[in-house]
This record gives sequence, C-alpha cells and structure tokens, in this order.
Amino acid sequence: MRRSKLSHFLFFMLPALILIGTFVVYPSLRTILLSFFDEDGHLTLKNYVKVLSSRDTINKEGIARGEFPLGTLLHNAIWIALHLPLTIIMGLILAVILRKTWGGNLLKTFVFFGMVMPMIVGGVMINFMFDANVGVVNAFLRLFGLQVKTWTAHPETALFSLILGSVWLWTGFSMTLYSAGLETIPKDFYEAAAIDGAGPFVQFFKITVPLLKPITVVVATMTLLWDLKIFDIVYVATQGGPGGASNVLAIQMYNYAFIEFDYGKAAVVAVLLTVFTMIAAIPLIRSVGEEK
Amino acid sequence: MSKKLVVNIIGWIFGLVWLVPFMGVFMTAIRPMDELLNGWWDFSSFHPSFNNFYQAWNHPTAPLSRGIPNSLIVATSATVLPLVIATMAGYYLARYRFPLKKLVYIVVVITLALPLQMVAIPLYEMLLKMNLLDSYIGLILLHTAWGTPWITFFMRNFFTTLPPQIEEAARIDGASDFKIFFKIAFPLSLPAIGSAAALQFTWVWSSFFLELITIYTPERFLATQRIPLMRGVYHVDWGVLSAAAIMVMMVPILVYLLLQKYYIRGMIGWSMK
Amino acid sequence: MKKLAFVALLLVAVLSFSKLVVIGPWAGAEQEKFMPVLKAFEEKYGIEVEYKVYRGSDLLKTLPAQFKAKRAMADVIFMWGWFIQDQAKKGNVVDLTGLIDENDFIPGALDAVKVNGKIYGIVYTGKVKPGFWYRKSFFKKHGLQVPRTWYEFKALLEEIKKIPGLKAPIASGDGVGWPLSDVTEHFLITFGGPWVDRDLIEGNLKWESNTVRYAMGKLVELLKAGYFGEPTEWTMALKQWWNGEYALYFMGSWITGMVDDPEDLGVFALPGAKGVVFAADYAFIPKYSKHIEEAKKLIKFLATEGQVIQVKQGGHIATYKKVSLSDYPVVDREVAKILQGMEAMPDLDDTVGGVFQKTFWDQLKLLWVNPDRLDEVLEVLDEKMPK
Repeated sequence: MRRSKLSHFLFFMLPALILIGTFVVYPSLRTILLSFFDEDGHLTLKNYVKVLSSRDTINKEGIARGEFPLGTLLHNAIWIALHLPLTIIMGLILAVILRKTWGGNLLKTFVFFGMVMPMIVGGVMINFMFDANVGVVNAFLRLFGLQVKTWTAHPETALFSLILGSVWLWTGFSMTLYSAGLETIPKDFYEAAAIDGAGPFVQFFKITVPLLKPITVVVATMTLLWDLKIFDIVYVATQGGPGGASNVLAIQMYNYAFIEFDYGKAAVVAVLLTVFTMIAAIPLIRSVGEEK
Repeated sequence: MSKKLVVNIIGWIFGLVWLVPFMGVFMTAIRPMDELLNGWWDFSSFHPSFNNFYQAWNHPTAPLSRGIPNSLIVATSATVLPLVIATMAGYYLARYRFPLKKLVYIVVVITLALPLQMVAIPLYEMLLKMNLLDSYIGLILLHTAWGTPWITFFMRNFFTTLPPQIEEAARIDGASDFKIFFKIAFPLSLPAIGSAAALQFTWVWSSFFLELITIYTPERFLATQRIPLMRGVYHVDWGVLSAAAIMVMMVPILVYLLLQKYYIRGMIGWSMK
Repeated sequence: MKKLAFVALLLVAVLSFSKLVVIGPWAGAEQEKFMPVLKAFEEKYGIEVEYKVYRGSDLLKTLPAQFKAKRAMADVIFMWGWFIQDQAKKGNVVDLTGLIDENDFIPGALDAVKVNGKIYGIVYTGKVKPGFWYRKSFFKKHGLQVPRTWYEFKALLEEIKKIPGLKAPIASGDGVGWPLSDVTEHFLITFGGPWVDRDLIEGNLKWESNTVRYAMGKLVELLKAGYFGEPTEWTMALKQWWNGEYALYFMGSWITGMVDDPEDLGVFALPGAKGVVFAADYAFIPKYSKHIEEAKKLIKFLATEGQVIQVKQGGHIATYKKVSLSDYPVVDREVAKILQGMEAMPDLDDTVGGVFQKTFWDQLKLLWVNPDRLDEVLEVLDEKMPK
C-alpha cells in the first residue's frame, strides 16, 4: 500500500466524496435537524410526539380489536416477521431442489426475474395475481370451491397479500446466493456422510445449513433492509389502503412530506426508518470495521 | 429412480408458482379485454394480437414511446458517471494509505443501508434552489451520488484481489500513477466494471421514488412513473397495463439475460462485501 | 453599440411578449378537444398561446415553491378550486372581480374560487355525476322500473338481486378511489340536503355529526345488504355492467363516451336528491405572470366563448349560461338537462383536496368491504379534515 500525495487524493477521491457529501451525508443530517424543529424554528420534540401518538403509526384501537390497520410500525414489523423467514426458507429449498430438477436452470431464471424487474411492475403483478376476476390465486382457490375476492381490497388480507407477493418477488435473491454457496460445498462432505449412513434430510441439516450460515447472515441483512425500505410495491398496489390497512413507514413519510407538506412529521418518520435500517445493518458495518 | 421423480415433481410445482403469473401477464397482454372478463385462462375465444402493446406504446396520458427513451437516457448517464467516479475512488482505497480511511468505509456502508426517505426533503429543496428540480441533470446527479458508494466498495474489493506486481513493474519503468491507473488498472478491471454496470443500470431503470419526487412534467416522466398512471385515474385496462409492464420489465431482464454471468457476480459481490 | 443593445433589448421584450402559456390537466384525446378553444382565441386576438400539460397533483408540488420565489411557470393555470382559494389568501393570485359577470354562470359555480366575496378564478366547463346508470334494454328485459321513492329503490335492488347470474345489483367502480367517493357524495346530498356538502367543505359540520351519520347510514344499509359489488377496477366494472353482470352503475357523465351504444343508456338520481355534483374545472392567473393583461383576455375568453367551443367537442357540460342545449352533441343533452332542475354542488373531495382527499378515498375502500366500521371511518375523516 502506497502513501498518498494530495494530488492523488484530489484526483481519485474528491469527486466521489463531494457527491456523497452533497447528496447523501448533508441531506441526512439536515433531516435529523428538521425532525427536531417546529415551523417557527424552535427546538422541540413535538414532531416525535405527534408521529408516535398518531394512529397512522400505532393504532391502539386497531390493536385492541385485532383489526387492520394496526399502524405502520406494526405493519413493517409483520412484514419482516413473515417475509424474512419465508424468503430464507424458500430460497434455500429452491436452490437445493432446482439443482436436481430437470429444467431447473430455466425455472431459476424465472424465479430470478421477480427481483430483476422494477418493483413498480412487481406491484402491478401482485394486484394482478390477487384480483377477484383475473387473478390466478383466486382461480386456484376456485378449484377448491372457496369464496373468491380481491385480496388487496380487504383490510384483513391487504397486507398479507402484499407480503406474500413480495416473497414471490424477492426469493430470487436468496435463491441465487444460496445456489452460489452450494457450489462451494465440496461433494466429499456428502459422500462421507452418506457412507456414515446419513439420509438426505440429515445431510441437509448437518452439512448444508451450517455451511451456508455466512450466506444466511447476508441474505437476512439484505432482506431486512429491503423490507424496511419497501415503498414501490405498496405505492402501486394499494397506496397503503384500504383505510391504511397496508400502510408502511416509507409510504407514511412520503404522504407526510409531499401530500400533507408537514416536513417535521415526515422527517421524524424518516429518522425512525433510518434507525431501524442502521440496526439491521450492524453486521454489515461490523464486518467493514474489522477490515484492515 | 422414483426419488429423482419426486424431486422433479416438487421442483416443478415450485417452478410453476413462478411461471404461471408470468404466463398470466403475457396472456393478458396479447388478448383483448373482452376475453379477460373471466380470467386469462379462459380460452373459449382466443384472438391474440399486439394491439395492447401498441396502445401502451401510444397511451394517451402516459405513452411508453416517450418513457422508454427517457429512461434509457437517464439510466445510461447514471451508470457511466458513477462508474468512472467510483472506479477511481475504489482504486485509490485499494492502493493508497490515507488517514480517515475507515471513516470513509463506514460512510459507504451506512449509505448502503440508508433509505431514500432520509434525504428526500432536503434534496427536494436543494434541487429547487439549484433550479435542477424537474430536470434530468438533477436526477442523474442523485443517482450518481447514490450509486457511487456501493460501486466504490465493489471496485475496491476487486482491486485488492488484483496483484499489484504489474503496476509496480510499470512504475519502475517510469510510468506516472495516473498513467498506471488508466493504462493498466482500468483495462484490467473491465469485467468488474461490467458487473457493476449491469446492476447499476437495472437499478436506475427500476428506480421510482427519486423520480416521483423530482420529475413533474408528463413528457419527462420515466418509464416506471408511467405504470401507476396507466392504472391511474382515468382508465384501467389490464391488457394495456400488462403490455406496459412487460415492456418496462423487458429492459432489465434483457440486461440480465445478456450479462447473466456479470450480473450474478455483481449481485454476489454487492451483498457479500 | 448602444443602439444595438437597445434593439436587442426591444427584440427580447417583443419575443417574450408574444406567447401566453396555459397549463391544463388534459392530455391525449382530451387535449385534442381543448386545442380548438385555444386556436379560436389565437385567431380572434392575434396572441399566441402555448399549452402545457400538468396534472393537479404535480402542480401542487411545484407551484407553491415557485410562488414563494415570486415566479410563475404559466400565465393561466387550470387547478383545483381549493388550491386557488388557498393561494388567493396568500396573495399569489390576480383578483378577477368584475372581469366576468357572476350572473352569466350557473348558481354557485364560482363559489369554489371566491375569497371574501372577491373572485380569484374563472369556472370552465365540467363533468356531472348525475346518478345510477342502467341499460334500458336490461330494465326492459327484466321488467324493471325507475324508482320514485327510497322504498321503491330498495325494492328495485331486492328485485334485481333475485336475477340469476348477477354479481351484485350495483357495480362498485374502484381505482384510485373517486368512483366510491362520488357515490358517497350522492348519498350525502340526497339524505343530508345540498347544504351538507358545503358545510362539510367549509368545516362547519363534523363527519361524526348526526346529519352525516344518518346519510351515511343509508349507504351502509345498502352495503350491508350486499347490494353493492366488490370494488373492481372501474373500467373493468364498466364492461361487466354493460355485459349484464351488474344492473346499475354510478358514474359521471363521461360514461356516454365509453359505451358501445349510448342510446341504450338511462340514468336516475337517488329519489329525493335536490343537488347533483358538478365537477367544474377552474383556472387562475398567478400574480407573477408577466402578461397579466393578455392573460385576462384569455381567461375571460375561456370562461365564456371558449365554453361553447369546448362543449361542441363532446363530453363537457357548460357552466356558462349562454351555452344553449343545441350546442351540445346529442348524447350530452340528457345530462345537461338533468343539471337544469338541480342545484350544482362542488365535488367534495376535489374541493377540500390535499391529505383529506387521499384519506377519504382510502377510508371509503375500507367502508365498502367492512360497512360495520362506519364509526371508525368517520372519526378518521374528522381527524384529517384541514383545521
């Protein structure tokens, strides 16, 4: 590693630093400031009180009755609680099974399309799948004689259909990472285990799962971040409705900032969201901190 | 033998969960609306045509004939610019010592985790003051700034795997550091640049939030902004919407299919810092 | 040198003077129907006009900031009434009192752009939301009659419900949410009286008041009885209704241009309705326009002669009284007639606008599938009304 002259620093680093400073660091700090001031420029916690006591964020009555909307904070939490394990499990299962399936690579390509396509299109696909008339989910349920409905239009199912749809969209990510991970596990491990009499399930839980743990950490971190930042899908599929039943933090921030024009409240939601993403990113930050 | 069959069946059942919706969108896109009232799987009458694609392309309120070129302009610029800037920065971080390096790393990683909502309001006001609101220059700048951190990191990781001997040899021959970068390091890093470009391009193409808050003139709307408009206030036609969805998703899917190797490598490199 | 500079300056002045900029929401086919109006103005006054398309929601994001910087991106801007009022209070809008005669327009049409008795904008043509549409052929086939009382209406719905193969008696158009809000407003006006609409807009009446609750109760009664279908993308619902999967459809007057056979269309308002929502377009001149005098000529033209030309293109209903029925294409005459016997009401959610409108649409989607939650819906609506 070489010592740096000023001219080198200026040439190689400065453009990047200026850009990041102007368009990332400075505005972030300004948003933090915004969240602590009222319209007249006085330091206050009023914005935080307003947001945290709002039914948009935590809907006490909804929680008490067990009815949606429960508030964006809980919606995001539910999203994570369902989406994170489902993504990990589905990704792993698909990576393992499609490796041994005829035409598996073709199927993998289609699974991966879900995460290559713009999420705006993804939201339209979710709408489309859960629609009462043209939706394939309902066509399937009809086969079993079940009552059909437009899932995204009902408060009790809107959030869940979005989450299921987002699993469909995002599983390609975990599957691809696990597929790459599987390639790195030497075949001898399995052969040795087979000689010891371990069946495929034992092999899966004793060899595959532990060896893929580092990948699981990465998948979990990235998925957490994705879940917290979820915006496009909700924006196009339900706008957070009906009655706020599928609203999430990122949408709430947008509504406060660009429809209500209440920058103070919007900044608070942004700060909350950022706090959560930073917690989710701890493994990432730590891994960088450890580097020389 | 039967075990293999079971695996195949399970594999295809899962596979169909992904295949069928794509098939549905395609079927919806090539058929007139009257045939879709009972679902696209109803083939009692079947008149495929490209009419819906034509209509989405020439849509009265949100024609893709404007949106797709717009998106191409923005996505291309916002891929080339950060790649140049970040490749230089990545090279510098891999090859040079300087104080506060760790701080730079941490800022970079934090940026990866930061939601765009955190910067939305100040950026909006900043662009307004700079007269760059509702302009591609402003939008491209934002995408460049937000692409630079991860590409920097990605390129730094690549350069650390590149043995420095070649560069040292050139230095002994009297080449300047800048010349070494442009003549040796840069060409060697082209595969990595390819991976980063594939990802950055598809992400800018797919981006929606930044466009939503910065671009207002209908003619300037990007492709992704036109999708919600098509299912918007005045007209909703599943056929046209599906055709538009296919056209808008086709570009990143083509990038992925053509550059699959680079794309996957980039994907893995991006997430496994 | 000085001379040259003077000439250059003059040239700049002349060039910048030559074009008025108009911003409106109409794009595509709608734009084509508007352009003849501008063309007629250009021919009459010799002032060139440039038309730009901006939707209200986008203007909402750019105009306030521009006005703060004392700039304007156009000389005449079509925008929501509530926005014009709001900006007028802030002193950003040119006072147009005296430019047009209020008596030349249908009663109440200019209310949405008045502040303290002064007129800050003009009213253009608009679209009527008259009531429930039905196919005459469908009614004939099943021997159905247009109801004259609320009880007849309920009996009709019950009768329709018995027809086999029907999804529901009334189609519920969905999408962004306005088709539901149109139906709701019709109930509010019918059962609360036309004044309910204005009182709600002005904030004199709470959503949780007995008046509103009574009117909404009538709607909820029908929802609970399953007379309304599940909210469906509204163009899809239109097709299904036309194909006989629903019997009735509440929609605005533009429906006449969306069906194969407009002759087969019939429409009735809820029995007892004394008002009908008439969603007109409004325009104003920003104070920072550099050509206020020319802009006044244009805006006056639009409000008066312009309406005649616009109405002839079809799909629009005039607010200018001097437009005669013979100016309308045949299909629009029916709708124009309905308006004559009723009080014209401003569109509630368009007039209040902002975060309320978004909430209103969203809450109605909830009410439609869960009519039991009326109390909660009304509570949220009160919360989101502008203070």
